[in-house]
Amino acid sequence: MGKLISRIFMGTMALWIALPILVVCAAALNGGRTMFFPPEDPTLQRFVEFFVTEEIWIRSLQNSLIIAFGSASLAVLAAWPIAYWLWRKADRFSKLLAGLASMPFALPPIIFGVGLVFFWGFSGSLGEIWSGIVSHAALFIALPLTTLSIGLQSLDRSHLDAAATMGATESTAFRTVILPQMLPFTASGFFFAVVLSFNEFIVVFFVSASAYSTVTVQIFNSLRNGFTPTMAVGAITFISASILIFSLIARFGNLPQLLGADKSK
Amino acid sequence: MADTLSSQPLPMRLTRLAYIAGILILCITPFLLVFAISFGEKIEGAAWVWGFELDNYKRFFVGADYPNTTSFLYLKFLWYSLYYAMVASILAVATSFPFVWLMTRLSRRAQTCWLIFFLASLTLSEVFVVMGWDILLSNRSGLPALFKETGVTEWLKVTGWLDVLRDWGLASPRNVRFKPTEFATILTMTYLVWPYAVILLYPPLSKINNEVVEAARTMGAGPITVVRTVVLPMVRTPLIGTVMLLFVFLLGAYVTIAVFAAPDKHTLSISVYEAVRGATLNAPFGSAQAVILLIAATIVLVLGRVALGNDEGTK
Repeated sequence: MGKLISRIFMGTMALWIALPILVVCAAALNGGRTMFFPPEDPTLQRFVEFFVTEEIWIRSLQNSLIIAFGSASLAVLAAWPIAYWLWRKADRFSKLLAGLASMPFALPPIIFGVGLVFFWGFSGSLGEIWSGIVSHAALFIALPLTTLSIGLQSLDRSHLDAAATMGATESTAFRTVILPQMLPFTASGFFFAVVLSFNEFIVVFFVSASAYSTVTVQIFNSLRNGFTPTMAVGAITFISASILIFSLIARFGNLPQLLGADKSK
Repeated sequence: MADTLSSQPLPMRLTRLAYIAGILILCITPFLLVFAISFGEKIEGAAWVWGFELDNYKRFFVGADYPNTTSFLYLKFLWYSLYYAMVASILAVATSFPFVWLMTRLSRRAQTCWLIFFLASLTLSEVFVVMGWDILLSNRSGLPALFKETGVTEWLKVTGWLDVLRDWGLASPRNVRFKPTEFATILTMTYLVWPYAVILLYPPLSKINNEVVEAARTMGAGPITVVRTVVLPMVRTPLIGTVMLLFVFLLGAYVTIAVFAAPDKHTLSISVYEAVRGATLNAPFGSAQAVILLIAATIVLVLGRVALGNDEGTK
């Protein structure tokens, strides 16, 4: 009886989370130009429009991809030294640096967005796509920083001692012992950053300065003229990509551990 | 840090310094600029100049024309920012807590599947979430249309419930209506942070051993009593901490408010955008609003920390 009730409760909650997603997916099948649910005159034409024929969506998708992968690479590269210092030294300076680097992620993004408008405005690069990439890298550096720190803490120190007794220098030990074991954590941090950058709206909305648009910004702009089913295809693409990426993290990394579950269980 | 710095060759040290400077400039200067510009002054018909005046803050609290007239418009925006964010974050934690508890009692494999599901929905952009709820709640296609088709609307009219809903602002004379309402705003905001609540409550709850629960069970406590008397006290701190984090996150909600809230119930994030990049174009005033939003967030976080600190002390 208790089991049944808890199953029903969990099912209801899953349904409430899935409901708007399902509705968006179904709306993508609409034949007409308006968004109806349930879809009228189902067709796959919207998918063709989104990926092949409509210039504006193709370009936004390209921008989204460039910004997501560019900023995630940059964030991982920038996070590695901090995470490493934090693990090796754990002194006040490295802790302060890690804290400051996580600030953009921890505070309401709208404030960081406003600040970036001024920042890029002064340097004359507001509206350049590279400034968008750097903005997202700064915003999401906290993610690889977290996964890398979790990974470094779970390293077996005896391996390092073994390397040191056999005469390995710090850089050799880093290359041959630490780096291979840290690969899954580096990848997880990278993909967390990719997915969040892909879906981020408010900061790009500020720093793109209407010079270019990503898929999320494009959807928000079209939102004022009413939804069209083509936008829903964008949503489906993004959701599928997220599920795929997290499944990969779960397959090759240890998802419950990354999210802080007890390791022994 | 100093000893490693001096023991390394010069180019290495320079690279390291440049790297640290780069991180600091990127992550800190934007916030400093917002703070500095909030004291600036807008020039009519032009941009703005640096300054050190408190006019923008005065305008925020009592209106630009004080003392001739007073206006609490922006205080009202601040109030709605805090109100929506607080209600939605408490609702999200209250409903996700029992869910996560049940989830952590499942097998490791089942837990991973649920985590993938929630991570995927967690990363879903605010834009997509609003789009989904907009279809569901809009008058022509979503639930109102469904109610009409299935006769629920008629039934509501006959039984008089429609009048009750109208008193709550959830119906027009003809049918139920969810846009624009506080209900839709808070519903969507709760939805927005629900997966975050799951991910944040997952670590503390998954660390609670089954032995603890079984011990209480053998002493004759029912499952709900166990959760109430054993589990809940163990995770009080993470529960309150989660509410705080979700609250700060929701202070920045933009799309939800723009789509679901009535213009007189808009929040600071809308007016910040209007001032910085939108129609009114008054960067210093926009910055002042952003600073106040940040201060409000900080105050709430500090209050939460103090409450938790006292809690720990009395235990």
